[in-house]
Amino acid sequence: MSADLEFENLVKLYYGDLYRFGLSLTGNETDAADLTQETFYIWANKGHQLQKAASVKSWLFTTLHREFLKTCRRRNRFSNESIDERTEDLPNVPADCAERADSRTLLRILGEITEDFRAPLVLYYMEDLSYKEIADVLALPLGTVQSRIARAKIQLLRRLTETNLPLEEAK
Amino acid sequence: MNTQEAKEILLLYRGTIDNSDPQFRAALDYAKSDPGLGQWLREQTNCYDTIRAKLRGIEPPPGLSEKIVRRRPIPFPRDWSRIGQLAAAILISVSVTALLMKWSEGRHRPVAGAQEILVTGEVLDLTCYIAYNLSGPGHAKCARDCIRSGLPAGIKTQDGKVYLLTGEAGHSINAEVADYAAKTITIKGRQTVRDGFAQLQVEEIRKL
Repeated sequence: MSADLEFENLVKLYYGDLYRFGLSLTGNETDAADLTQETFYIWANKGHQLQKAASVKSWLFTTLHREFLKTCRRRNRFSNESIDERTEDLPNVPADCAERADSRTLLRILGEITEDFRAPLVLYYMEDLSYKEIADVLALPLGTVQSRIARAKIQLLRRLTETNLPLEEAK
Repeated sequence: MNTQEAKEILLLYRGTIDNSDPQFRAALDYAKSDPGLGQWLREQTNCYDTIRAKLRGIEPPPGLSEKIVRRRPIPFPRDWSRIGQLAAAILISVSVTALLMKWSEGRHRPVAGAQEILVTGEVLDLTCYIAYNLSGPGHAKCARDCIRSGLPAGIKTQDGKVYLLTGEAGHSINAEVADYAAKTITIKGRQTVRDGFAQLQVEEIRKL
């Protein structure tokens, strides 16, 4: 298979997933498209260094996340806030709370979650990556990844529940 | 394991993808024996599936994949042995070009500043003259053959000074002087000296 065709197939296979990951991280369609393009640009230049063909997906997500962090640092938007350290209670989620939220609302709520917690949560929901692969993508210990996903998920579900409740009940 | 511990573990459970992960097995087994936990697990799994489906339902902007493919950079192979070979080739190429330019510059250096003189003397083939001190009528045939074959030609004046005969830049004078080998002629030309060796760029040949 020619290199051009191989690259084209790779783009077709992963550009959607990468775009969605980028959109969840940035909350901005243009930034997400730029990150996706940049990721494949880097792949075109450095992808041949990858030894295991099976790690391509992880490599692409790692690269996109790294580029996102670079962008954050450049824009000085890197928030130091973290999710409240106190132990979160496990929420009782109404069965239809997610049904009533559209994807735009989900993205908005995801955007309210601190980036450190948002990236693992997005990978948890959107990609078929094992926890070990998520940890590799984010260059974090497995335990940290699981802890962040759990806490971010609780926060997401809580905000989702509040968003869907009538105003007086939410109060 | 109690219900709370099982719940904390199963909060991360996503379904089939996590079935092979040992950390979930015990908690899943526990959930089978706890109807309340089982119900909570079903709700949270449904909720997970719904959120996942909605997020995965987001479509990239039209034309993005084509744009990425179109703007693909041409990869540069980082094979260091090939890079080394390429660098060596470039270095050799640059060196050769520089040498050629210098040589060419020397060849085309104008002799406009050189002094124009008239020289009368015997035409020599310099190879035989310098190597074996051969000249004169007895060596005429050999000298003619040598000059015709491209060996350097010269002229020796009556006072013993010898000049290397040259043509205009890029042109040999041998064909024009070969027939005068061992004969005395007068040459009008421009005198130059390179590294102590006298040269005469022939402009005109006058047979005596």
